[in-house]
Amino acid sequence: MSENAGEKVPVSPKASGSEHSTDVKVSTHSSGTEVLPEPKKLSNKELKELKKKEKSAKRAAAKAAAGDNGITGGNTSAGSQNIKHDDHQKNKLQTSSNIKKQLNQTKIKEFKKVPPLFSHLETREQRILATTPQLANIVHPSILSLTLKYSTYNIVGSTPRCRAMLLAFKQVISSYDTPEGTTLSRNLTSHLSHQIEYLKTSRPLSATMGNAIRWLKQEISLISIDVSDKDAKKELCDKIDQFIREKLELAHDLIISNCSVHIQNNSTILTYGNSEVLSKIFEYCHSKENKKFRVIIVDSRPLFEGKKLAKKLCSSGIKCQYVLINALSSILNDVDYIMLGAHAVLSNGRLYSRVGTALIAMSATSRNIPVLVCCESIKFTDKVQLDSVTLNELADGDDLVKIDKKPIKKLGFALDQFLKEKSLEEEKEKLKIQKNSNNNNNNNGSKKITKEQEGEMNFLTKTEPLANWKEISNLNILNIMYDLTPPEYIKKIITEVGSLPPSSVPVILREYKST
Amino acid sequence: MSSQHKDKADINVHIDSVVNKLKRRQISGSYTVAIETCQLLMRVISASRWNHPDQLIDIIAQVGKKLVQAQPREFSSGNIVRRVLSLIRDEMNDDNDVNNGNGGNNNNNNNSNYINNSVNNENQAMISSMFALLTTNENKKNTVSNQQNLQQQKSQVSSASAQLKKNTHTQDFRSIIIQGIKELIDEISSISENIETMSVDLIHDNEVLLTPTPGSKTVFNFLAKARLKRKFTVLVTECFPNETEEAHKFAKKLAAHKIDTVVIPDSTVFAVMSRVGKVIVGARSVFANGGCVTSSGVAAVCECAKEYKTPVFVVAGLYKLSPLYPFDRDSLVEVGNSGKVMEWEDSQLVGNCEVTNPLFDYVVPENIDIYITNVGGFSPSFIYRIVLDNYKAEDVNLE
Repeated sequence: MSENAGEKVPVSPKASGSEHSTDVKVSTHSSGTEVLPEPKKLSNKELKELKKKEKSAKRAAAKAAAGDNGITGGNTSAGSQNIKHDDHQKNKLQTSSNIKKQLNQTKIKEFKKVPPLFSHLETREQRILATTPQLANIVHPSILSLTLKYSTYNIVGSTPRCRAMLLAFKQVISSYDTPEGTTLSRNLTSHLSHQIEYLKTSRPLSATMGNAIRWLKQEISLISIDVSDKDAKKELCDKIDQFIREKLELAHDLIISNCSVHIQNNSTILTYGNSEVLSKIFEYCHSKENKKFRVIIVDSRPLFEGKKLAKKLCSSGIKCQYVLINALSSILNDVDYIMLGAHAVLSNGRLYSRVGTALIAMSATSRNIPVLVCCESIKFTDKVQLDSVTLNELADGDDLVKIDKKPIKKLGFALDQFLKEKSLEEEKEKLKIQKNSNNNNNNNGSKKITKEQEGEMNFLTKTEPLANWKEISNLNILNIMYDLTPPEYIKKIITEVGSLPPSSVPVILREYKST
Repeated sequence: MSSQHKDKADINVHIDSVVNKLKRRQISGSYTVAIETCQLLMRVISASRWNHPDQLIDIIAQVGKKLVQAQPREFSSGNIVRRVLSLIRDEMNDDNDVNNGNGGNNNNNNNSNYINNSVNNENQAMISSMFALLTTNENKKNTVSNQQNLQQQKSQVSSASAQLKKNTHTQDFRSIIIQGIKELIDEISSISENIETMSVDLIHDNEVLLTPTPGSKTVFNFLAKARLKRKFTVLVTECFPNETEEAHKFAKKLAAHKIDTVVIPDSTVFAVMSRVGKVIVGARSVFANGGCVTSSGVAAVCECAKEYKTPVFVVAGLYKLSPLYPFDRDSLVEVGNSGKVMEWEDSQLVGNCEVTNPLFDYVVPENIDIYITNVGGFSPSFIYRIVLDNYKAEDVNLE
């Protein structure tokens, strides 16, 4: 590890600086009430204190790392100052748990490599660092598996994610026991908060999930103290089922009947990525209404979600055309409607959806093709945002390294780290063996072998030109998940409460709040 | 005589081999095609037998037709052929000037050719600038480049001595044309140098640039040169599926030149466009209306740039300028291997799903702000003028 740090000496002071800022940001992020207002407020004091301690430990670790770099690289006076500071702090934090933590951190720690414009966004590593390791002990197994599924993109799309989360919560609730001295209505929320905290390490919460969590917490707080735990749990599970049925399933049915009028015989519909409700609409129009129409599915790297939709539609016999987003201008000529799914619709009428949606909506608008957005009203959020840069989800840059037409297969974070470490170790061992054998041979031979090895390495990296992108200081990969479509590009939003223009989103939100 | 036959057979073999290579896309990319065409034409001109420049024009037009048909969507071969043809025609004009000046026997021709002249003058007035409006006909009468005129001349000059003179003259003509083609090759290979010098005028410090055509050498040279004077960031789109590997290598090369480089997927263009200062595009070919053909996906990028009022500039060598007019977008766009979009083992999809993989894209002139060529920067609306400067109207159609 120290070798690695040594290589990146010029970057290190900056890195430690960003660590500070992100630490601060993390705290503001979780207390800044955007998606989840309750969890922080309700979490008990103990946990807060624990977190504070950990943060200070993290800072110390970061400083220690920077200090080490300063020594190895013979770097600037800032490094030496850090060391002095550290000596004070180290004495304070010489507890065994802290040392352990520091060890853990150095292991996971990776230099944040994000283009400067997007450095305010959280990386996967940062998300994982932001949580407390102790959390894993109180996290329900169903949440653990769900977290893994989220982070490996096995469950994608805000609706499926929301549904899976609610189902997991059902399991959490049914296996929950109220500790002595508290009541279910008080303690369950904080228990859930821990689960959510852990869930957030995989990917940030989607708008639907945020809305569902808010609703669930509301429901929990409404349970009277007199109700027995068993009854309360049953009631909550029923409510969750009802929520899924009302807000997702029935909403879909209504959207389908609202939207099916737009698909006529011989029409061509273009869609982007994979939306659950859209695939239901297409299948309904095909099988129930016997309409003959053509669907153009536009797709993009690296998730290739459109492939799932194409498979689904093809297997049910709908005529499909599958293209990638670079073919956009070639296929828009004979399209009647653009139908898009949504991740969220912001209260200023902007559509927050899979990156690339905005490009399609723009191209369609300039060709006078109407753009329809189909989404459940649970996706409406009272957030406002003006561009895609300020708030977005940063995915792993490594996902783009492999040039492949198949969807990426992602490993869980821990497994990924483990494999990386292992391959590093193996390489080191190989080098050691090589060195030993070389020592036995004469010098000329050794040079040859190392050259051959280099050739081998080059050959390995040849298949993927960017395999070592993290080591090239001027090179970055940007992989964001969403973009923001301006309301001018959207003709109407079809929801279960009717079709409306983007400007009416805040109206619906207000109605919801008043009820 | 047999050696002549052999020459002819030789050159035909050579033409066929180039045509076949073009058909198999073994020669592809406008730069290589252009250079290859130049070399082929040089060989054709030196190997073929002709008595009169008109015959040469015919021969070259024939070769040009074959080359164009071999790769109909690669316009640089046709452009080079037209450039060479216009070179020959210019040379013929100069010759006539000289001949007319010397030979007094041409005077009696003037009457018979008067109508021709007037037609020709009109033609020229259309093509050349307004400054020529007030010049007298005296000059024009002499600058007859008409075929008939030449044929008449030929019939008049029939003595043996004249024939001999002509033979040496053809030899001169040949070497002049070949020299011209050599200059053309020089021009093509030094294009990036000329374009590079403009980079400083177009990029300011700390600017964010976006390039959707990572396969372009011109773009790379432009950026590398600009880096010597300016510090900037370049966003490189991946151009999946056709040029992704090139894109990644391009990004790596830029990073090696100490340019801050960010690789972005094609879909991310809209999300980042608000932060982009300029879009730099490498063109495959540029048309008379100011539109251009580039790699697929660029049209959407330029549209997006237009939406954000981000300037788009296209870098292209002069040899990419085509005198054709892009009436039909679909005829310009080549469609490639759909296996790059979807793996064949995906049996569920392969049989049932239509998959398309267009290789090129046509960008409309409205979405382009400026063209940077080796002879300077021009707005798209001015491209037709550059086209007229470099090509002759009678060569637009190679038939």
